[in-house]
Amino acid sequence: MSTAVPEFDPQEIALHPEDYFRRQLVWQLPVRITHWVNAACLIVLFLTGLYISHPLLAPSGEAVRHFVMGRVRQIHFVAAMIFTVSFLARIYWFWMGNAYSRSGFPYVWRPEWWKDLFRQGTDYLRLERGHAHLGHNSLGGVAYTLFVIFLGWCQIFTGMAMYSESNPGGFLNRVFGWVLPLLGGSFTTRMWHHAFAWGFVVFAILHVYIILYDSTQYGNGLITSIISGYKFYQKGDFKED
Amino acid sequence: MATRVVVDPVTRIEGHLRVEAMLDERGVIKDAMSSGTMWRGLEVILKGRDPRDAWAFCERICGVCTTVHALASVRAVENALDVKVPPNAEIIRNIMFLTQQVQDHVIHFYHLHALDWVDIVSALKADPAATSALAQKVSPSWPLASTGYFKDLAGTLKKFVDSGQLGLFQNAYWGHPAYKLPPEANLMAVAHYLEALKWQKEIIKIHTIFGGKNPHPNYLVGGMASAISMQSDNAINMERLNYVKGLIQDAMQVVENMYIPDLLAVASFYTDWAAIGGGLGNYMSYGDIPQNGIGDVSQFRMPRGVILNKNLSEVLPLDLTDAGQVQEEVAHSWYEYPEGKGALHPWDGVTVPKYSGPKPPYKQLDENAKYSWLKAPRWKGNAMEVGPLARMLVGFASGKTEYKDVVTEALGALKVPATALFSTLGRTAARGLETKLCVHWLMAEYDKLIANLKAGDSATADTARWEPSTWPAEAKGYGFTEAPRGALAHWIHIKNAKIENYQIVVPSTWNASPKDSKGQHGAYESALLNTPLADPKRPLEILRTIHSFDPCLACASH
Amino acid sequence: MGSLLRKATTYDVLREHGIDRRRFVKFCTMMAAAMGLEATVVPQIVEALETKPRLPVIWLHGLECTCCSESFIRSSHPIAQDVILNMISLDYDDTLMAAAGFQAEENRKRIMKDYAGQYVLAVEGNAPTADGGVYCTVGGETFLSILQETAENAKAVIAWGSCASNGCVQAAKPNPTGAKPVHKLISHKAIVNVPGCPPIAEVMTGVLTYILTFGALPELDRYGRPKMFYGQRIHDKCYRRSFFDAGQFVESWDDDGAKKGWCLYKMGCRGPTTYNSCPTFKWNNGVSYPIGSGHGCIGCSEENFWDNGPFYERLTSIPVPGIESTPNEIGTVAAGAAMVGVGLHFISSMARRATQKKEEAPDKEGR
Ligand code: HEM
Ligand code: HEM
Ligand code: NFV
Ligand code: SF4
Ligand code: SF4
Ligand code: F3S
Ligand SMILES: [Mg+2]
Repeated sequence: MSTAVPEFDPQEIALHPEDYFRRQLVWQLPVRITHWVNAACLIVLFLTGLYISHPLLAPSGEAVRHFVMGRVRQIHFVAAMIFTVSFLARIYWFWMGNAYSRSGFPYVWRPEWWKDLFRQGTDYLRLERGHAHLGHNSLGGVAYTLFVIFLGWCQIFTGMAMYSESNPGGFLNRVFGWVLPLLGGSFTTRMWHHAFAWGFVVFAILHVYIILYDSTQYGNGLITSIISGYKFYQKGDFKED
Repeated sequence: MATRVVVDPVTRIEGHLRVEAMLDERGVIKDAMSSGTMWRGLEVILKGRDPRDAWAFCERICGVCTTVHALASVRAVENALDVKVPPNAEIIRNIMFLTQQVQDHVIHFYHLHALDWVDIVSALKADPAATSALAQKVSPSWPLASTGYFKDLAGTLKKFVDSGQLGLFQNAYWGHPAYKLPPEANLMAVAHYLEALKWQKEIIKIHTIFGGKNPHPNYLVGGMASAISMQSDNAINMERLNYVKGLIQDAMQVVENMYIPDLLAVASFYTDWAAIGGGLGNYMSYGDIPQNGIGDVSQFRMPRGVILNKNLSEVLPLDLTDAGQVQEEVAHSWYEYPEGKGALHPWDGVTVPKYSGPKPPYKQLDENAKYSWLKAPRWKGNAMEVGPLARMLVGFASGKTEYKDVVTEALGALKVPATALFSTLGRTAARGLETKLCVHWLMAEYDKLIANLKAGDSATADTARWEPSTWPAEAKGYGFTEAPRGALAHWIHIKNAKIENYQIVVPSTWNASPKDSKGQHGAYESALLNTPLADPKRPLEILRTIHSFDPCLACASH
Repeated sequence: MGSLLRKATTYDVLREHGIDRRRFVKFCTMMAAAMGLEATVVPQIVEALETKPRLPVIWLHGLECTCCSESFIRSSHPIAQDVILNMISLDYDDTLMAAAGFQAEENRKRIMKDYAGQYVLAVEGNAPTADGGVYCTVGGETFLSILQETAENAKAVIAWGSCASNGCVQAAKPNPTGAKPVHKLISHKAIVNVPGCPPIAEVMTGVLTYILTFGALPELDRYGRPKMFYGQRIHDKCYRRSFFDAGQFVESWDDDGAKKGWCLYKMGCRGPTTYNSCPTFKWNNGVSYPIGSGHGCIGCSEENFWDNGPFYERLTSIPVPGIESTPNEIGTVAAGAAMVGVGLHFISSMARRATQKKEEAPDKEGR
């Protein structure tokens, strides 16, 4: 049975009481692949995006011999397309994967979710080990939803709308073109796209730090988990144990 | 009792002007009110913006005298930041300025003013052959003067009138007793109305070449954005410069062989108007067309100065930075000043609108209350007239030979005394004479540009003060020009790289101003006094005098 | 004056002008080309201009600068004279009409009555809505009421320029007069927006010719602009685009790149975010356009372009009231705050670990 806030199944522990450390496959392959594809794309997108906004290189000579800005934009667009596909694939896996793949969802209508959010927040602030999770805790869930899912959609919609401008009336333009007037025109759309880009930077800083912190605090192998898929928990992490 | 004649809208002008005139029993104007009925709030909108952008906002004050506000604005910012533009930029600005002057004056004469003197309906009766003879007599060098040309035109005109759709010409004062031209002169004028319409779009291409478009060409704080390079097909190069030269040559033809002859021909039928519409008798020019940087007033082609009470023997100096000279009042204007303030120099200027007129729809305004969206600018407390006439008089009184020559020649041709200049006709004539000076200066400035390029100088912008980080925390500046309609200046106060205050005092603000706190009339109001109206329901005389100023109300109230 | 029985068509008038049928058809073909239409519609234009009486037009001026009118008279194909004398009947236009005062207003009222449902209302400028509309009155009436009254029986409404289509300069913050564009003041009417400050002359005459020819408005985009003139970005047709792609930019005014005509992107050019025909039609009969003369596009046909400044900066503040920072300023502050937060947390967790060790230490020693 998959629960909303997936905690490890105590029965599983009951079967092997002799084991102090447990290893559990949490991140299935699609989660791990999309994680690294997204991470790589976001880094490329942010850097190329900044470059587009403020091109630094100044090649001399005939224009036909150079394609610096054009290349950077191409890379941005290729990364954007890969990101979009990977992003959508991850969302698909939200339903298709194991319980942990759904664990980020903010179940704001469930009291337990709020309790967990509060508990995790205070644990981090009091610098205490506190309650262990195998999937995402509520706090992580909020962060992923706001910073990744929401911003991701924002970037995809604003980015695709801008991308579609060079082919007015084309397929992308018909699908995404409405974003431009909604945000007050092409120029303001671009400003939003640029502002949103920074959201990923803020996320990445917090995310990587929390991963490192959490991993040392709980000794749960969190860092390697996004490569191997396995997380560890210690005996006694789950109170029924 | 007195009848009140209301003309609203005053048409064939730019913007929204309302005139109310109070007549005595004999139909003579005894009191008059000029009211600007629109306000957009540019001075409010400019606050807090980047001073380098101000020219673009200001330029949109007016699309008819487009460029002059941009010019005054960049000069104001450059003055505040102590930027000196390179000689080429100054010359290009002079060329654009003169182009504007020439184009605007010609449009005014043919498309805004002519129908006050030319009766289109009477033109229907003209004999093409006689018109051709007249045209060749008036201007032997103007090519379009054959009988066939006028015959075609007469046919077109007839067809147009017969169509029943009179369009722009419907319901005007045709047949009014004050129209005096013979049918042939009227037909010739109609022909030139159309020729001028075709030509104005050509001369203005000079703006397009240097500024990218017209209306509203581009300016730049520190110079001009149009780089010059003879080595490039992507900059101002020889092809572009030749284009400019050709346009100037055409303009000379139009001005010398069409505009000036037409002006003199029409004026010769209306010399009675040399005694009507004089008005204030105070004239002011800030001067323009620098030859050695905007700071060297002595080297301006258009001289600076003030004439009071028609006294041509004395030209008074003026100083735009002196808090006691140029001031604006709001005694009869729909604005509020801070407690206890009556007149403010533009650096301390305040723009807070407060409408207190009648609730629309209304039938009349109250001359004893506030009645206009224009402030009332005054020079040392005097109401002033600005514009081509003021410039001609200041130039003439300063003893500048170019000015003396054209003025004396015209007075001789019309056989009128120098006092004829202080009139409606004088104003209209001065505009034409100025245009003649301007086309020649246009060519002279072009030659200067070429000479400067030959000498190896191709710089068009000084960017040392481009970045706001190079600016002082606080700075004040002013920029001025002689717009087609007269003396124009902008005053700016920059604080922390943003506009803290921006005040604009415009030629039409001077001329169309309402009364001030002392009850002194503005130039329009004053010029209307004592004018007899033949038919108060068709106040053609009011239009003649008001149009002689070439009103621009979007400018005036901004 | 004149007979109302027979109305001359454009063809009649052109023929009076000494223009024969062959040249007339050529004129129509050129017009079609100017509008970007297929050659197959030429007969339709020919027929329209041959048989239809001149289209009555009432041209109102509100809060504006009259540069749209000025642009209009600069049209080269067709020239303004042909439009005014042969194609439309410009029955009311404050700037050009001969009549003044109440006679002028009479003209407007007469057209509204005699040509109800047939005249086109062209609006230059927009209407102030604050304080009962007192910031613009004509003949003692508010422009707002005149606009609404005149639109009532119009066949269609043309919103000339950025003022009428988007609000333009007087609607820039803080919009002291409450200026609103036409489409926000008139409903239930076909409105075509022709933005630009001003619009290109041939775009203006093109729109009029289209309406005259087809008796309907051209196909409009999401912003109510004719697709044929506003379908593409400046940037996608700009002749400096190859420099953009190469990465060759003007870095400062009058530098070497400026002389070579490199891309103006870094000088704040709004070409990448602006829809207009400038690079294709160019200005004043193809002479140049802003970028062609070395200055960036300021985006004059785009909604709210005045508030998207400073014009010479690529990044401006994000459009949230009260925020005056660029995306990069906001972003660096946010990222900095995140770094500081992380840093503080890290330091306190290290401190915590150190004290815990101290607490544990005597324990271990005591064992
Ligand atoms: C040092 C590099 C990184 C490591 C070790 C790492 C590790 C992890 C781990 C362990 C999780 C699961 C988190 C949890 O249980 O709360 C996770 C999730 C996530 N990470 Fe990272 N991460 C790294 C970099 C990044 C970067 C640069 C990004 C993008 C900006 C990113 C985006 C995400 C996202 C979107 C998730 C949610 C994944 C999902 O549920 O599909 N990560 N990461
Ligand atoms: C998701 C992460 C993304 C980030 C961090 C990002 C970042 C940026 C940045 C900083 C810019 C420069 C904006 C400026 O000119 O100031 C930019 C431009 C742009 N981005 Fe993105 N972007 C992302 C995703 C996308 C996506 C999904 C698309 C979709 C195709 C996209 C399309 C564009 C386009 C079309 C431009 C304008 C490029 C140009 O006109 O030259 N971006 N991006
Ligand atoms: N008055 C005025 Fe202007 C002029 N000439 C500006 O300064 O017209 Ni619109
Ligand atoms: S759109 Fe621009 S050009 Fe046209 S009237 Fe408005 S301000 Fe002037
Ligand atoms: S000059 Fe402007 S429109 Fe042209 S390519 Fe460069 S950024 Fe684009
Ligand atoms: S400023 Fe306007 S004129 Fe064209 S190039 Fe840009 S849209
Ligand atoms: Mg002012």
